[in-house]
Amino acid sequence: MTGLGKYLAMARTSIEIWFVYRTTFVLNMIGSVFYVFAMFYLWQTIFLGSPGALAGFTWPEMKAYLLVSFVLGSLMPWFAEWNMSIDLKEGRIAIDLARPIDFQASRFASAVGPVPLEFCSAVAVGAVVAFMFGGIALPADGAHAAVFLVSAALATLIRFGLVYCVSMTAFWTTGTDGITVGRMAVQNLLSGALIPLVFFPDWLRAVAAVLPFQGMISTPALTYLGKMDAPTTALMLGVQAFWAIGLILLGRLAWRGAQRVVTINGG
Amino acid sequence: MAASVASGFRSARRLVYLYFRCLGQQMKAILAYEADFVVLLFSAALVQITGVFFIWTIFQRIPSINGWTFWQVVMMYALIFVTEGVGSLFFEGTWQLSNLVYTGKFDQMLVRPVSPIVQVLACAVGFNGLGNLVTGFVLIGISMANVPVPWTLGRLLMLAILIVSAATIRVAINLGSAATAFWISAPWSMIPMFVHQLGEFAKYPITIYSLAVQAMIVIAIPFAFVSFFPTAWVFGVDAWSLPGLLTPLVAIYTMLMAVTIFRVGLRRYESSGH
Repeated sequence: MTGLGKYLAMARTSIEIWFVYRTTFVLNMIGSVFYVFAMFYLWQTIFLGSPGALAGFTWPEMKAYLLVSFVLGSLMPWFAEWNMSIDLKEGRIAIDLARPIDFQASRFASAVGPVPLEFCSAVAVGAVVAFMFGGIALPADGAHAAVFLVSAALATLIRFGLVYCVSMTAFWTTGTDGITVGRMAVQNLLSGALIPLVFFPDWLRAVAAVLPFQGMISTPALTYLGKMDAPTTALMLGVQAFWAIGLILLGRLAWRGAQRVVTINGG
Repeated sequence: MAASVASGFRSARRLVYLYFRCLGQQMKAILAYEADFVVLLFSAALVQITGVFFIWTIFQRIPSINGWTFWQVVMMYALIFVTEGVGSLFFEGTWQLSNLVYTGKFDQMLVRPVSPIVQVLACAVGFNGLGNLVTGFVLIGISMANVPVPWTLGRLLMLAILIVSAATIRVAINLGSAATAFWISAPWSMIPMFVHQLGEFAKYPITIYSLAVQAMIVIAIPFAFVSFFPTAWVFGVDAWSLPGLLTPLVAIYTMLMAVTIFRVGLRRYESSGH
């Protein structure tokens, strides 16, 4: 197999793995939906107590925001760092080093393969939640929907770039549980997954604005709701693209360093 | 009679001793990855701090949620994390049960002359629990200082009893749901995780939920007794405080249920064969 073929084969394999463990994946998603339910009840109570808009969000908009956040958060879940750590602990990384492939591209192929399946199952689960809470706001028109899809795709690239960079730390620390938990905590807050960034105090908004995380949830969710005018939207998509490319390049740099420190366990 | 009490006491002491010996071995294995261990402690604390920050940002916009104040909600939140901390620091082994059963490693536990439940509980340590415990207790302390309640000795004593009971409920829920591994053969069962996620509901006052959700976390899987009812009692919220006194009884009941599920499951256990 030449060129793209080998990466397509890897993507296909990871889809097959997804199907083998489909019950686990789906149950995992339903498990995380309890969190979404709790959020819906919480915000419903808040909006009942203060009718109208909070920080510019109405209740239908907030419902849409929460669900977009849930769907985007369900793509490329938490495996990358963990897999890298296991590969290193068990010495399997030797096989990857011996293969005539680009390491980052191969990881991307396996990560991106199941994304359409993850997307569809998350949308299905999200639709049930939306139905139970009386529907959500949809994008204003086709153009808004298209811009949202572009932004969502960029968000997924940023997610891959970030998680890949963080997974590289496994070459130095071997275990990555701590770093993964820390990454998720920071990411949940600064991406806007917990709460829209406009709710933050000014100083924290300034911090979030210069970091890549906002491109993972906040930017696509705001494009979905059409909350930014055209120039701002273009600028924010540009920022997303900047971080996607930047993080992927940073990951390549880290991989070069990692090859110098790698320890192969076992034999 | 006296002799049997003495021997009962000796065997209980032996169980505690063996439990900590097992735990110590796991601790050595974890400390092998030292950097990860240190980062994990701080990350666990970070998760809680971001969670409390989330609640704080909401309360910047509104004075109360259904009449519940910021510090009351922080207390519920902190109780969820403290009990989770106890669960992962001392009883992380429940999460390994499905793997032990699936791979047949559980056989080893059956041939040793120690209760398999104790062995399962002690077979892993989750050090992130330490981060959860410390931050959780700090948050409990801060919210106690910020709520206008007279801190009499009796109330403090009851708070301690409620925290111990809440942690017992949490561990019992983990153990009972992990024991489903005896019925479902899979390398990593999702059911304990699924049940664990129900705890999300207990981070907020249960008055915000529909009746079905309330029934689930009060009666079916009593997460409300881990956070909501103890908080209501300690902070003297009259409408909800009375069930808080039931927490120790609920703890005993859930633990008995968990042990029963485990024992029934154990009878079904057939080794995966080697």
